[in-house]
Amino acid sequence: MTTLDYSIPSNTFTGPPSTLHTGTIKLENEEVERYLSQLLTESCKPLAEEEVKKLCDKAREFFIEESNVQPVSCPVTVCGDIHGQFHDLLELFKIGGNCPETNYLFLGDYVDRGYYSVEAVTALVCLKIRYPHRITILRGNHESRQITQVYGFYDECLRKYGNANVWKYFTDLFDYMPLTALIEGTIFCLHGGLSPSIDTLDQVRALDRVQEVPHEGPMCDLLWSDPDDRCGWGISPRGAGYTFGQDISEQFNRTNNLALIARAHQLVMEGYNWCHSQNVVTIFSAPNYCYRCGNQAGIMELDEYQQYTFLQFDPAPRRGEAQVTRRTPDYFL
Amino acid sequence: MSEHVDPYVIPSKKINCQRDLEKFLKSSTFQDIWNFILALNEAVRDKKTTAAVPQSSVVQSLVEQLNRLSDWIDDIPPIEQPMRFGNAAFRTWHKRLVENSRNLLEQVLPPQLHPSIVELAPYLEDSFGNSQRIDYGSGHEATFLAFMLCLKKIGASSESDAAALVFQVFGTYLKVTRKLQTVYKLEPAGSHGVWGLDDYAFLPFLWGSSQLYSHPEITPRSVLNDQVVELYKDDYLYIGAIHFIKQVKSGPFAEHSPYLYDISCITGGWPKANQGLLKMYQAEVWNKFPVIQHFLFGSLLPFD
Repeated sequence: MTTLDYSIPSNTFTGPPSTLHTGTIKLENEEVERYLSQLLTESCKPLAEEEVKKLCDKAREFFIEESNVQPVSCPVTVCGDIHGQFHDLLELFKIGGNCPETNYLFLGDYVDRGYYSVEAVTALVCLKIRYPHRITILRGNHESRQITQVYGFYDECLRKYGNANVWKYFTDLFDYMPLTALIEGTIFCLHGGLSPSIDTLDQVRALDRVQEVPHEGPMCDLLWSDPDDRCGWGISPRGAGYTFGQDISEQFNRTNNLALIARAHQLVMEGYNWCHSQNVVTIFSAPNYCYRCGNQAGIMELDEYQQYTFLQFDPAPRRGEAQVTRRTPDYFL
Repeated sequence: MSEHVDPYVIPSKKINCQRDLEKFLKSSTFQDIWNFILALNEAVRDKKTTAAVPQSSVVQSLVEQLNRLSDWIDDIPPIEQPMRFGNAAFRTWHKRLVENSRNLLEQVLPPQLHPSIVELAPYLEDSFGNSQRIDYGSGHEATFLAFMLCLKKIGASSESDAAALVFQVFGTYLKVTRKLQTVYKLEPAGSHGVWGLDDYAFLPFLWGSSQLYSHPEITPRSVLNDQVVELYKDDYLYIGAIHFIKQVKSGPFAEHSPYLYDISCITGGWPKANQGLLKMYQAEVWNKFPVIQHFLFGSLLPFD
């Protein structure tokens, strides 16, 4: 087993010993660990196209088994948007602890905008396969064919692989990602927010999620909505989902016996932001978003008693040169 | 002389679906817009931003009024707030713009053109960002372009103003929008992150590359040299835009701005860059429904 500066101690692993037999795709633990060490070290080298295909086929077997409201136990660390900021994801693991010593719940938006979406989403999917019970990966509004064709992931795959196959493998996998998670029955976690079509968690459980994110309807709203200062439901300036007021959040939490809604989806200066009288918290885990926003990243640590601590971090100092691929855009040929 | 005969109207959004956008792209209105972009692109060819170019009194007073907008930013400091991101003081600034836009245009236009203000003011108001979302993007820049085209259509500016529209009017507009972005932390509207040319602007790159078209020393590659950028940032809009990016973004240039990095490495120099940026501007801004759905149509820029 190769361990570089990201160590994967085998003695703490609680899953099957050597090979993952849960499904039909055979992928040795050692192979996944090789992928991980290739990605999570300074070399930061994307996997080969066939490796990504194998990985996505394997990950689908895990995602398909998960609920639309995937139960999660404490302790767990909840993380928001990553957006291809791979070096900052490595910093996140330094701050929050490596998986599987720390359990993780990610709230979506792994890809688009940043330069290293391929590396970020590949690493998270590897961790999911290697430690399926230690990491939960939800779907964000950017885990979509349509959005990734506008906001960069598609372009990035073309640039790094010379074709769109890897983009297709990943976007096909995104369809299977769970939409929401429920920590210890009391903290409802999702990427965007609430939907006027949904009053109860059972209604979320009943959704047929294995599809491209629709333009409207409950599944779309869960991935797109935002809390707002105004009461009630509002039209979202984003053009998808809704805005929802404190009255809506309070009602939803009361109906479903929840203490809190934890969501991501919006840039917040401090990395986390309470609203609706602590009925809702926003978590955003991409520091200095788009290399310019100057925001801190935040993650929410919940201990075994469901006590929360927010950890904040800044971009890691970068060593060495950027691993960029030069390619003349078609417009300039 | 004004080519306009219809009564002025309050402009409104007309593009509600992809099909509307396709119709617009085939219309004579879009052709007018594109010809205007090309005319300004030609007008600034091989000229420095600081070059002495003819300018009418309308251009001069418009620059004065745009500078007033900049002064308002000083009057309205960002507020201490429990901040998500963008600063809510931008809404106060934007409200002042909306309240004063008619008066501002009355200062700029001769009295016989004042009836057009009802149609022009909404373009101006939409050129500086969205006050609800506290964001700014290339759609707002496109709206300012439309505002300048309306000035030409009503006869307030003439053909000979073309270079001054870019250097004086658009140049001042750029200064105001950069100040707004920085002071109020406007979120980049619909940014493609590293996978776009820039988070906020396109036209300074387009017209700026025309300014450098046959420059004997500055090549596309020169933007990688910080000393060159520092030296020429006020002379060429392209260099100024690179300078601004280097100021506001941290990290390796090739990584946070891969498109601009790629352009620095193209063969064919500035003519190739300029030609490519024209294609890219249409494809990435005007052909994009999420951007152009907000575009306003009236009697000067009709949808039909």
